[in-house]
Amino acid sequence: MRDTKSLLLLLVSLLLVVVSFVLIWTWGYNFYAKNGVAKPVIIQTVADSAAIANKVTDSFQKVYAATLKDLDLKLDSTLTNSDSLSNQLDAKLAEFYRLRGEIAEILKSKNANNNFAAAKQKIGELQTKVSDLNDKNKIVDKENKKLLDVVNDMVRTDKPPAKNSLSASMGQNMEPEKMNPVLSSAFTAFDLRLAAINNADDKEAETNSAEKTDKFTGAFTVTNFNSQLTNAEMMVVVLKPDGKVLKGSGWDSGTFNTPDGKKIYSYKFNFTYTRGEAKRLAFSLRGGTLSKGSYTMEVYNNGIMIGRTVKTLS
Amino acid sequence: MFTTTIKRPLFFIAIFLLFGLMPRAQNSIVQKYETSNVYAGIEVGSKGVKMSMVELDKKAGEDAEFKILKDTSINTDFISFTQVSYQATLAALNKLYELAVKQNKIPVANVFTAISSGVKIQAEKEDKKIWIDQLVNAFRLNNNEPERKVAVIDVAGEARLSHLGIVPEARRYNTFLIDIGSGNTKGGYFPYGNTKDFKLFQLTWGTKSAFNAADKMLGEDKSLENYNSQLSRVLAGAEDNEIVYAVNASGAFPKSDNIAFSGGIAWAVATLIAPELNDNAVVGVTYDEVLQFSEKLSKNPSLYSDYYIVKTMPENSVDTEKLGKDVRQVNKVFDQRSLLAGTGLLLKIMRQFDGVVERKKFYLVKNGAVGWISAYVNQNVSK
Repeated sequence: MRDTKSLLLLLVSLLLVVVSFVLIWTWGYNFYAKNGVAKPVIIQTVADSAAIANKVTDSFQKVYAATLKDLDLKLDSTLTNSDSLSNQLDAKLAEFYRLRGEIAEILKSKNANNNFAAAKQKIGELQTKVSDLNDKNKIVDKENKKLLDVVNDMVRTDKPPAKNSLSASMGQNMEPEKMNPVLSSAFTAFDLRLAAINNADDKEAETNSAEKTDKFTGAFTVTNFNSQLTNAEMMVVVLKPDGKVLKGSGWDSGTFNTPDGKKIYSYKFNFTYTRGEAKRLAFSLRGGTLSKGSYTMEVYNNGIMIGRTVKTLS
Repeated sequence: MFTTTIKRPLFFIAIFLLFGLMPRAQNSIVQKYETSNVYAGIEVGSKGVKMSMVELDKKAGEDAEFKILKDTSINTDFISFTQVSYQATLAALNKLYELAVKQNKIPVANVFTAISSGVKIQAEKEDKKIWIDQLVNAFRLNNNEPERKVAVIDVAGEARLSHLGIVPEARRYNTFLIDIGSGNTKGGYFPYGNTKDFKLFQLTWGTKSAFNAADKMLGEDKSLENYNSQLSRVLAGAEDNEIVYAVNASGAFPKSDNIAFSGGIAWAVATLIAPELNDNAVVGVTYDEVLQFSEKLSKNPSLYSDYYIVKTMPENSVDTEKLGKDVRQVNKVFDQRSLLAGTGLLLKIMRQFDGVVERKKFYLVKNGAVGWISAYVNQNVSK
């Protein structure tokens, strides 16, 4: 009887333990799923557009290779033709010299009566050969000219690789490769300042604490003694300790081009400028919760970095 | 078999685990917004019922800043004014209200309900205002709230609220906001430095109507070339007959430094044109950038597939999973031709502000859909 009671109690305990484990497992699963750890692997079944693009590129490569091969063949055949013409010329010349020698021999010979007709025939043959040689010479000249044109065309094609024959044959699907313009800036930036500001009781005070920072304020001075620019643009990039760009608002931030590719700016200045003027520019950025570490402010003009400063928050 | 010393701890462990963990497991599923500064706005629109949950900063009112916590919608087709669409809309309204009040624990007083201008216009046009009244009464009855306010917003009111909800205070009086919808375009600006006077701007063209007009003119030749030429014809007509006049009549050019576009096409173009700014709610663009986008889209739409865009992003520059999802969503909502129609209309309007001497700054707003209801909540909280 006592054993039966114990057994029952044990069974109930075991059942509860099992139920508990199921609950723990459910909770764990929810926790996992919520944190994105157990994310289902989505297999991309849509058409691989880049692969298609690669295929297109490949096919163009093939066309290009075939064209080159064809050109090679043409060149080879032209060279072969040229060689064969040269051989023919040599043979004709040899024949010419042979006939000239034979005629000279006949003329030297004392039995002029017998050989005069033969000499006349040989002279006729010699004239035909000379005329043939003239024609052949013209053909060789033409072939040489053609060959030169082909070589010149090839040289021109090799200089900008994607713009001429290839881009034309690529058609509309591929973007022509853009040549990066050489960027430079006429401006110099100095007196750069980046400060973390705390707003307490409607009073602004500078701080070095990441926790207390409500916003960043930045300022710098730019000058330009070289250019007659009247309108200028300056981009400010503030990098967070994790290397990402600090953005105050979507209305202020955007992208700009640099020699290293597209970059995101935190703030942009558009201003009018007179040569030699020392122009002071200032901005402020609210970036939400900030972490400890170094914040880097970079100033760009025309895609070139013209100034940089670092502010460390503890 | 087992001694009491083993049995007792086992029993208590089981009880502890059972009752200790159950509430935690439930709490982790639903987030509660019992704090007093979280509000919900439920909007009955032409194509569905939408709910935005916003968190306001300490100073409520028109100048207050708010953060959108959640944005959810249920598609219905209320403006077809049939029994089926009515029932679906009522069910969606009740469901979202329940979601706000019961599931997210938002106090009833913090939940605002409104009917959009699109529904009002269509109901007036078809003499079906009774459907709106019926919907409002049924909703009040279902939730046992006979005094509940369900405001019916007019076009000017909605455009004004959108401006207040989308454009930050610093740019409020120099920004012209234009919402390009599917069937029409509306917007406006505050011309006199106060939020009471609002200059309304309207066009009868929208993304879908431009697409439909071009599509109708295709005839036998359904090719993209023919579509593009018909679309150019349609948009040229719209520009000559309406856009130029409407922009001039609005008087916005001298008074606005910024021209902001909202609506589905603005969201779509912003997502595709600036993937590196995927987490920005607003993206600045130029006329040339949008023109280039349109040309590329026409020649090679695969440049704007989620796979290609994600693949061409520099490493660690954006959350590629979110970006891929957003681009997929854009391509699900708009096909190549609809995108071309919307972008074409966008360009026609932008061109009116892209002068040789003075060029305006253009912005594409992604979260415009929650703008007016959020502003409505904000405004009503301050009352």
